[in-house]
Amino acid sequence: MHELSIAMELVSQIVEAAEANRLPRVDEIELEAGILRLVVPEIMQTAFQEAARETIAAGAALILTEKKAKVRCNQCALVFEPHVDDFTCPKCRIADAKVLEGDQIILKSVSCNLSEGNGK
Amino acid sequence: MNKKIKVNVVKNVLQANDLVAGRNRQVFKENKVFALNLISSPGSGKTTLLEKTIPALKPEHKSIVIVGDLQTTRDADRLSDQAQQAVQINTGMSCHLYANQIAQSLSDIDLKGADFVFIENVGNMVCPGEFDLGENAKVILLSVPEGDDKVAKYPTIFRVADLILLTKVDLLGALDFDLKRVKEDLSKLNAKATLIELSSKTGQGMDQWLDWLKAKRTEGIGRQARFATE
Repeated sequence: MHELSIAMELVSQIVEAAEANRLPRVDEIELEAGILRLVVPEIMQTAFQEAARETIAAGAALILTEKKAKVRCNQCALVFEPHVDDFTCPKCRIADAKVLEGDQIILKSVSCNLSEGNGK
Repeated sequence: MNKKIKVNVVKNVLQANDLVAGRNRQVFKENKVFALNLISSPGSGKTTLLEKTIPALKPEHKSIVIVGDLQTTRDADRLSDQAQQAVQINTGMSCHLYANQIAQSLSDIDLKGADFVFIENVGNMVCPGEFDLGENAKVILLSVPEGDDKVAKYPTIFRVADLILLTKVDLLGALDFDLKRVKEDLSKLNAKATLIELSSKTGQGMDQWLDWLKAKRTEGIGRQARFATE
């Protein structure tokens, strides 16, 4: 259910980027979701289409990629890939790690397809 | 001929919220108050806990409460007698609080003389974890009737928690709840978080919770003072 909250923030960023770059509309969006955010792709797609309704991004294709997690153990400094429900360091067996990658949701790009006779 | 215009953005989707959260944190720091974000599912006992906590902190410590709910002012009404000020935010259909709602509330609140700001988030274990409000600590409540499997089911929120309050522990004998399982799941996610077993009804764990609050506040204010001179 958090996908809709994320989608609403996403759409406002897309609109901002499109307006700043004077895109007549948005046809494609690249979004990278860190695995630790537990974004469900199918739900994200639906949530995005719902949030984008009646905006410049309505009907745009959402290309969603997943970013693996990477953390550093605060005890022994080992960098490892945790499981979403297990952050135990494989070396010192303590779950006390700083997240380096995989906990962000990044809007990477917005694109517009212009075809002659159709676009501006 | 088709032409594609691609604009590279590379922006954190939650950046707008995070920026406002950063400003809220600054306001808390300037006013030397310790702000807590209380997160749990509905019915875990957040408001009842605050009804017991705020009077117990008096007279040394004054508290302000900001409560988020979809509808009604019931929670703020319940807390308005004890708190220095209690503000209700109605989120409508939104299942969490945003940093800008806290910023708006802060413009109506006099933080002078206050020591704690308790932000009672909308009852939800998922979305509140995504939206930083500018708090100094995240406190997650898990009540015994919810079951012993919730830490593993909602790993994100428990991983970022500073404190976990296991509430309604007076029901431990009446329900099949494996406390060991909760502790094991938690140890895999967040070895640093403190777990306090608490009952607002019997008072069990209240002293530990109050001590934690006071210690964290002192630590937080101390750290803030140090930052100010750096």
